[in-house]
Amino acid sequence: MGAQIRSMRRIAAGAVAATMLLAGCGGGLGSEAQTVEGPVKIGLLVPQSGVYKALGDDMKNAWELYLDQNDGQLGGREVETILADEGEEASTGQAAAERLVNRENVLAVTGVVSSATMNGVADMFESSQIPLVGSNASPTTLTDVEYIWRTSYVNDEPGKALGEYVANEVDGSVYMLAADYQAGIDEVEGFKETFEPAGGDTADEVYTPFPTTTNYQPFLAKMRQSGAKAAFTFYAGGAAVDFVKQFEAFGLDSQVDLYSAGFLTEGGVLEAQGAAAEGVLTSMNYNHDLDNEINKEFVAAYEEAYGKKPTTFAMASYDAAKVIDMAIEEAGDDLTSTTLNEAIAGLGDIDSPRGTWHFNDMGTPVQMWYLREVQKVDGGYANVVIDELGTLG
Amino acid sequence: MRRLAGVGLLVLLLALPWMINPYAISTVTRILVIGLLAISVNLLTGVTGLPTLGQSAYFGIGAYTGAIVSTTLTDVGPVQMLIAAVAATVAAAVTGPVAMRARGVSFLMITLAIGEIAYVAARRLDITHGTDGYAGIPPVVPLPGLPALRLEGLVYYYVLGGFLLVFALVMLLLRSPFGLALRGLRDNESRLRAVGYPTSRFGVAIYCIAGGIAGVAGSLWTSAQQFVAPGDMGFSVAALALLAVVIGGLGSMWGSVVGAGLVVLTQDYIGGYLAGYGTLLLGILFVLVVYLLPRGIAGLSLPKKVGA
Amino acid sequence: MLGWFDANVVSMIDGVAYGLLLFTLAVGLSLIFGMMDVLNLAHGTLYLIGAYAAYALSDGSWLGLLLALVVGVLVGVAGGGVLAALTQPLAQRGHLDQALLTLGIAFIASDIFSKIFGSEVLPISVPSQVAGSVTVFGQVYPVYRLLFIAIAGGLALMVYLLFERSSLGALVRATVADRDMVRASGVDTRVVMFGVFAFGAALAALGGVLGAPILAPGPSVDETVLVLSLVVIVVGGLGSVTGALLGALLIGQVQTLGVALMPVYAPFLIFGAMLLVLAWRPQGLVSLVGRS
Repeated sequence: MGAQIRSMRRIAAGAVAATMLLAGCGGGLGSEAQTVEGPVKIGLLVPQSGVYKALGDDMKNAWELYLDQNDGQLGGREVETILADEGEEASTGQAAAERLVNRENVLAVTGVVSSATMNGVADMFESSQIPLVGSNASPTTLTDVEYIWRTSYVNDEPGKALGEYVANEVDGSVYMLAADYQAGIDEVEGFKETFEPAGGDTADEVYTPFPTTTNYQPFLAKMRQSGAKAAFTFYAGGAAVDFVKQFEAFGLDSQVDLYSAGFLTEGGVLEAQGAAAEGVLTSMNYNHDLDNEINKEFVAAYEEAYGKKPTTFAMASYDAAKVIDMAIEEAGDDLTSTTLNEAIAGLGDIDSPRGTWHFNDMGTPVQMWYLREVQKVDGGYANVVIDELGTLG
Repeated sequence: MRRLAGVGLLVLLLALPWMINPYAISTVTRILVIGLLAISVNLLTGVTGLPTLGQSAYFGIGAYTGAIVSTTLTDVGPVQMLIAAVAATVAAAVTGPVAMRARGVSFLMITLAIGEIAYVAARRLDITHGTDGYAGIPPVVPLPGLPALRLEGLVYYYVLGGFLLVFALVMLLLRSPFGLALRGLRDNESRLRAVGYPTSRFGVAIYCIAGGIAGVAGSLWTSAQQFVAPGDMGFSVAALALLAVVIGGLGSMWGSVVGAGLVVLTQDYIGGYLAGYGTLLLGILFVLVVYLLPRGIAGLSLPKKVGA
Repeated sequence: MLGWFDANVVSMIDGVAYGLLLFTLAVGLSLIFGMMDVLNLAHGTLYLIGAYAAYALSDGSWLGLLLALVVGVLVGVAGGGVLAALTQPLAQRGHLDQALLTLGIAFIASDIFSKIFGSEVLPISVPSQVAGSVTVFGQVYPVYRLLFIAIAGGLALMVYLLFERSSLGALVRATVADRDMVRASGVDTRVVMFGVFAFGAALAALGGVLGAPILAPGPSVDETVLVLSLVVIVVGGLGSVTGALLGALLIGQVQTLGVALMPVYAPFLIFGAMLLVLAWRPQGLVSLVGRS
């Protein structure tokens, strides 16, 4: 009997302790939009663990760089960045976003790498009327939103940008091979949208299990057998490294021209691929060798701070900071999440390392896309812009 | 004394939305749902002696069924729960006989295979909207005619209701002759069979019941999150549910819920403040629990084993 | 018939390479489970030890590779010893507790690896003489994989002979079958068990060093390796070297030839194959060869 009483008391004590742990500022019935005076809180929702950590680091670095360059201020206000780990799954991303909005009461949130997470949190940002200035994820289905902005692109645009060019350049059929998840499917759909009307000839359309595929030999064998003259692919991260290296190791590079969405050779993966990546042609909305003043300063500052050249992921995060900076300034003294969102909607051209761009009605950028080739540069390999693919958005 | 503590806990659970902020309340909601999933795992692992990594499959089937029903048929919660339970139970009935041919590690691997196949199917099918997840789920309506629940506190009450209902049913089950027979299955199956019990039929029966419970939990998840993604039914969910059961103490249902709470808190909450250390903390939690709590948290309330 | 063969023979060769890689990984896990009844979910971590050693030390020269081998195997054996020591107190407590403990260790190790080596997939340099490709049956194939087949094949043969044909192997097999009997005959079974644990860990780490150019180290690779090893030993039959070899070769073919033949079903193939084998032979493939 005594043991039972002791254990029950222990449970009760644990429950009270847990409640106190969870208790924060009270008021669980939603908050009124209150004018923010003085310092502002911005949530930075990026992966800090798991397979997307490298992207999360790029985005965090660029965000912090922008703040450093502006004395820790955006729009003249002191900024407190609240970092939250998006994790790998939508459930962790949702929980982290809820923490930022409901407990930390941030003014706005930026970041988000996973499209599933963005879909999962969209409703919450719309109903809480808090702007999400996304700097990476961009599902193609997120078209009718008021509070969700993306400074990156839409998931099918890298493919869309390449389709016509490849149709014109390649004298033969094109084999489409992509990672089997929504981003891969979107890229191929985007590619076909401009490839087929331009008279392109499709050899086959195959998706490789993701993220479990590490051995591409069977797929490359089929690609060879199809007799295609070129391939359009989408891979990112570790899969990109495996694919490009095996593409060369199994001799496909002498037979098939490799085109891809730019993620195939973006950032750290290019280093891991080394010589195998030479000659790969990709489409991207940014490259570190773009010839404009803002980019030159950005690249120099980023390299000095972090020891490597910025990627498109870093650039988009940098621009997100700029967007919030310009919008807070516009909103002036009457700064709430709602007025901030209106200010973002009213922004015109944004001067960025990628060139000049602006938001369209769906909240995504209208921007120039570039064709890049991997070339040997200064003893290493780098993406070099060789052509412009046109404006999308 | 036990009953008094139970009533006290119930009062605390009912009063919770008035005491803590919306984020904390939605965390508790998640804990209740994962706790229910852990209970379904416990029914197989702790009570019947069948360690499983496949309950996430039925959880996912329940979650997606709830999502599909909510966008095509009705947004009345209990209806979604019922249809989800049926779908999950049917899936369990189809896959159960395959799994029940094996025991021990082979059973574990078969359930792992079931879980992985379901996960891959969720990623590829059009009906589940693929890897970007199923969005656009309307807020749940608790009973026909009542308004939809939009506040986190109200959604919590809805989930709490579903949780308590299933919990009570499970307790009844465990006290029944069937429940006792299950424990016989765990302790000595061949002897039980020798005295004439239809052990394989019992095995499939509990497999279906556990599947149905996981399905209900899945439907509650969908109502709470208003979003389902394939990651909600992957290997890590199955593994964490199993580990929640072991942490809580095999066979103890409230232990499973506490275990689930510990895992969810460690991962979402504390891992959120120490961004990027979630995995490390979970690992440390597991190691500590194994060494310090040999019979799980529930084992703390049991008298020390004599001589062992 | 010949046309089909022509198109797929290279996939089959690749399947052998992959299968032998899986064998080096899985055989240790199978023996550890069969011998000590320990479900070691930190097995993937042992692979990573070898793979990261290859990244850190293998710089394109044969000496670097040798160094990576030595260091990788030593650290792997040490890791195996640590795991054996940590699971020793749990000997009576059943598989779930061991699973919980070893999974916790795997999580901690995975986090430490990410902090040291970062979270990107890392490039592995192989000695330059074997870094190129040759033409095999009319198709281009990496030299390193052919070398790997030779080395891992030799290793598999050695392990097989050791366990199935030597008296030491007989001792180990006896301990798997009936520990108490062996102890009654005067042998200290704890030494045997620790030895097997260390040997299994060494093989996994060795597989990591040699296999890193094929399966590079990264954040979730330990989970991939663990799941593949578990599938292999369940398909092959727990506790048996022959079983591990049969299972590994089968799964290797499923992952290469199988994917080439049925790319649409690729993600389902490995578990589908496992379910089929278990439905047909619940004890695993080794029961076909007459051993239990």
